[in-house]
Amino acid sequence: MQGYLSLLKIKRLPTTWCPGCGNGLVIKALIQVMESNNLNKKNTVIVSGIGCVGRTTGYLKLDSIHTLHGRAIPVAEGIKTANPKLNVFVVSGDGDLLAIGGNHLLHASRRKTNIKVICVNNRIYGMTGGQASPATPKKTVTTTTPKGNEFEEINTQAIVTSNKNFFARSTVFHLDHLKKMIKKSLENKDFSFIEVISNCYPGYGKKLGFTSNYEMLMDFKKKFENQKNKSILKKNELGFLK
Amino acid sequence: MILINGNLAVVKGAIKSGCGFFGGYPITPASSIMEEIAKDGIKLMQMEDEIASINCAIGASLSGKKAMTATSGPGFSLMQEAVGYAHMIEQPLVIVNVQRVGPATGMPTKPSQGDIMQAKYGSHGDYCPLVFYPNSVSELYEYAIKSFNCAEEAEMPVVLLSDAYLANLYETVNLDIDIGIVNRKLEPVGNGARHYTGLSHQRNSPKPQNPRQYKSFIDRIFKKTYVIAKKHADYEYTGKKDSDTLIVAYGCVSRFLSGLKKKYAFFRPIRMWPFLKKELGKIAKNYKKVVVVEMNNGQYRREVERVIRKRLYFFRVLGGEINIPKISRGIRRIKCKATSLYSK
Ligand SMILES: Cc1ncc(C[n+]2csc(CCOP(=O)(O)OP(=O)(O)O)c2C)c(N)n1
Ligand code: SF4
Ligand SMILES: [Mg+2]
Repeated sequence: MQGYLSLLKIKRLPTTWCPGCGNGLVIKALIQVMESNNLNKKNTVIVSGIGCVGRTTGYLKLDSIHTLHGRAIPVAEGIKTANPKLNVFVVSGDGDLLAIGGNHLLHASRRKTNIKVICVNNRIYGMTGGQASPATPKKTVTTTTPKGNEFEEINTQAIVTSNKNFFARSTVFHLDHLKKMIKKSLENKDFSFIEVISNCYPGYGKKLGFTSNYEMLMDFKKKFENQKNKSILKKNELGFLK
Repeated sequence: MILINGNLAVVKGAIKSGCGFFGGYPITPASSIMEEIAKDGIKLMQMEDEIASINCAIGASLSGKKAMTATSGPGFSLMQEAVGYAHMIEQPLVIVNVQRVGPATGMPTKPSQGDIMQAKYGSHGDYCPLVFYPNSVSELYEYAIKSFNCAEEAEMPVVLLSDAYLANLYETVNLDIDIGIVNRKLEPVGNGARHYTGLSHQRNSPKPQNPRQYKSFIDRIFKKTYVIAKKHADYEYTGKKDSDTLIVAYGCVSRFLSGLKKKYAFFRPIRMWPFLKKELGKIAKNYKKVVVVEMNNGQYRREVERVIRKRLYFFRVLGGEINIPKISRGIRRIKCKATSLYSK
């Protein structure tokens, strides 16, 4: 089994995250892929926006850019365009990438800039205390939707694949699968988007009746299954489209 | 010598400085800057809005390129959060604002000087921007170069102000001026473990809860900007210096009023921010009357008033049009008793 300490700023631990938060698992998967693919501080840069997930960049031994809320994608595109040799990752939240940064996502996928966007989707604004995000499913109770969310969740998959970009879905429970998807995205030479379903117990799961972050992970195990048809990726399926 | 307009002069200055990246979004009267960049071959990213424009320019700067964006008031407003971010991460960048009449969509084709305060205070929190405002096509060329130089020296964003008049004004420019180019010293990203964050931070670690750290950051960025600003305390002091009246005007307005130079002394700031307190204070002392004429409702006037500490006469020029005979009559009729502070 691989470790994942090589690229971790150990002195900066503990993280600011709640115990059991899915963000740590994303770091683990990402570092393990980087190790096996020879991605390191000589060739790789990581960019994030604002939110709990956004803090990821500060824990990695890479040149890392913690941008403004929603602006990770344009900053990453500027970095990549100015120096095409770099591998550029974006790691940010559903609120950051799909709400305030949604317009950038739309256009980066049109421009097909070769950046790898990892969207850690906990279906909520975690950092600000559990308000509905564009990825919050309909009818869900959150602090800003006490009677249940009246809107459908955003269809990110349709946005990203409309330009024939790489789109993958995984969860923080299915770490091996997640790593496979990140690796797969690296084979792809243009815009790639990986949606990682994650858990936020205090901001999201609590109101849904879960009792811990662990219970939410077990729920991912139960709810998600492998993609059956290569050309279709259903909401509850793990897999990719290209 | 070539005959070009103000916008093209900015592009020529950027090329001379070694600018390697431009992020932009079309807007009157700044669009032709992006169009000229497109012809020249500087890497151009036409983005989905001005927020993306400044952010991708910040990204390109992080990647080691001298980067630039250009816009007008509405776009400058959208950029403000990122202006503060660039100050927070101390990244060189040149932001050009070709001013038009605001607020909102305002009068898109008419010149204005309504963004003087925005250039200084537009983003939230405290920061110390360097801002230049030339008044000719040659000067736009020169100050585009100086803006890039200062951005590199200070490791900070620099704002270059222009206006709808200068943008479209054609004048001959000598491109072979003797001006050094400051090269990039910062190491590009992709070669270390640095952390760039908009959170208050110390070296590579966020410190969002530490007031002492924050204070020392603020002091440091103000101090380093002042050091660079001091080298560029640029202004013009001309006209009839032994008159009893000093006219303070800048940018396009200083051009419109040049006919009055025979009768009055003129002070024209070029470095708008940090404010030329010492320089103006010393000169203004020698005059009985100090008159500010500007294309806004009195933004620079207030700063001048704070420095000269005496009665100030103010003529505002609103809506992008100036009535020179009226202003000249107004100045002639000023009694030391002071008439209304506002012109009609
Ligand atoms: C311009 C701006 N608006 C609002 C905020 C407040 N804010 C900080 S994080 C955040 C939401 C983050 O949600 P998400 O991206 O889903 O990340 P999570 O915390 O869930 O990991 C918001 C609204 C901000 N920092 N900047
Ligand atoms: S609030 Fe939610 S997303 Fe943020 S650290 Fe805690 S569990 Fe993670
Ligand atoms: Mg979230």
